[in-house]
Amino acid sequence: MPRYALLLMLLFAGAAPRLRAQTEYHARLGAVGATDLLHDAIVSELTVRQSIAPMLAVGGSLPIGPKGYRANLEATFSSGGFHRNEAGSKIDIGTLRTGTLLLGLEGPLWQHFRWRAGLGAIRYFPTEKQGIFLAGGTTRFLAGGGIDYRYPVLPNWDLMTSARYDLHRFRTGTLEARGFSQSQGVSRVSLSIGLSRGIR
Amino acid sequence: MSPRARLTAVAFAALTLACGDIAAPARNDFYEWRLEAPSPTGAGTDTISFHWPAEQLPVRIWVEDADSLPADVTRAIGIWRDGFLYGEYDATIVSDSATADVIVTLGVAPGPQLSAIRLRSALAPQCTGATDVSISEDHTQLLLPVRVYIDPSSAPGTPGLGECVALTVVHEIGHSIGIFNHSPNASDLMYFDPSVELPSERDRATAEVLYHVPSTLEVVRP
Repeated sequence: MPRYALLLMLLFAGAAPRLRAQTEYHARLGAVGATDLLHDAIVSELTVRQSIAPMLAVGGSLPIGPKGYRANLEATFSSGGFHRNEAGSKIDIGTLRTGTLLLGLEGPLWQHFRWRAGLGAIRYFPTEKQGIFLAGGTTRFLAGGGIDYRYPVLPNWDLMTSARYDLHRFRTGTLEARGFSQSQGVSRVSLSIGLSRGIR
Repeated sequence: MSPRARLTAVAFAALTLACGDIAAPARNDFYEWRLEAPSPTGAGTDTISFHWPAEQLPVRIWVEDADSLPADVTRAIGIWRDGFLYGEYDATIVSDSATADVIVTLGVAPGPQLSAIRLRSALAPQCTGATDVSISEDHTQLLLPVRVYIDPSSAPGTPGLGECVALTVVHEIGHSIGIFNHSPNASDLMYFDPSVELPSERDRATAEVLYHVPSTLEVVRP
C-alpha cells in the first residue's frame, strides 16, 4: 500500500507543474438575487424572500479536452437580509448567509464568451436560530449554469464578467416540523465581475 | 433518445425543479383571542385585538428580581418567540422599569385599576397569575405598560410550586403578546386553569393568526 501511495505522490509531483500551468482560477464580486423562499397564507398571503445580497465567488478549472472544455469548481458566499412581504408591507426578519459549491463543465461559446453548467449544493447559514430556521440552516441540492465574458487585460489575467442562474428546492427542518409539505422552487440570478488567471 | 428529445427532457426537468410551491399547513384550529368589552358608545360590545407592531419589537420587559422570575420570564419569551415562523414577536429583558413595555412582578395583584382590564387569573393549584392591560376609553389605544402579576400563593418549598410559577409565567406572557382571552380547551396553555407546560399547536396557531390580523389598538406610553 505505501508503495502505491508513493507512486501516486511521484506522479502528482511530476504532473503538478503542468497542472499548475493549465489551471485557471478566478475571484469575483457581485450581487445575487433570489425568488421567494416560501409562500404561506396565515390570514392573507405572505412570502419570504432574501434581499439582493453582495456575493463573493472563487473558483478554478482544469482542461479536460482539446476543444477548450474544462472541468470547474466554483464556490460563492453571500450575506444579506431576508424579509417577509405581507399585505404590501415588507418586514425584515433577519440576516441570512448562503454558500454554494458547484462542480461543472465549461466550454467556449463565441469570441470571449464561455458557457458553464454544474451541479452542487447550497447551504443556508442563518445568523440566528429563529423562525423558519429555528432548527438551524439547511443544505439543498443545486443546479446551475451561466455565461462568462473574459477580456484580456494583463499578460496572464482576464477581466471576468459573469452571469449565473441556479435553482434549488427550499425547505427547512422547522418548516417540516410545522406541517409544511413539499418544497419551494427557488431561482437565483447573480452578476459579478472580477479577475481570472487567463485561459490562453 | 434524439438530441432534441433529450433537450426537451432536460428543460422539462429544470422547469419542474424551478416551479412549484411549498404547501403550507392550514391554520383552522384556533380559539377566540380577542377581548370583548362594552362599546364606548354604550351599544353592544367592542372586539379588541392587539399585537405588538413590528416597529415596537423587541418588546421591553422588566422583571422583578425575585426567586426564579427572571429565568422563568426569559424562558417564556423564548417559548413564545419560537412559536412564530416570521419574526412576528420578540422581547428582551430591560433593567429600567420606566422604559418597559411590560412589567412582571411577584406577588398578589392589586385591586383592578379603573382604567385597566384584568385578564382572568390562571388558577393552577399552587400559584396564580394576572395580567392588566390599560385601554383608552375609546378602545383605540393600549396604554403602557402591560402589568403581569405572578402570585406564588403557596409557601416556599411547596411541591410543584416552581413548575406552577414557570407555567403561569408562560401563560401570562401569552396574554402580554396579545392573547387577551382564554382557550376553552383544557389541553391548551392558554386555558384559564392551565395544566400543560408549553403552548399547544392550537395556542401557537392562535398566536400566529392574531399577529396577521390588524391590531385595533395603537401602543401609547402615557
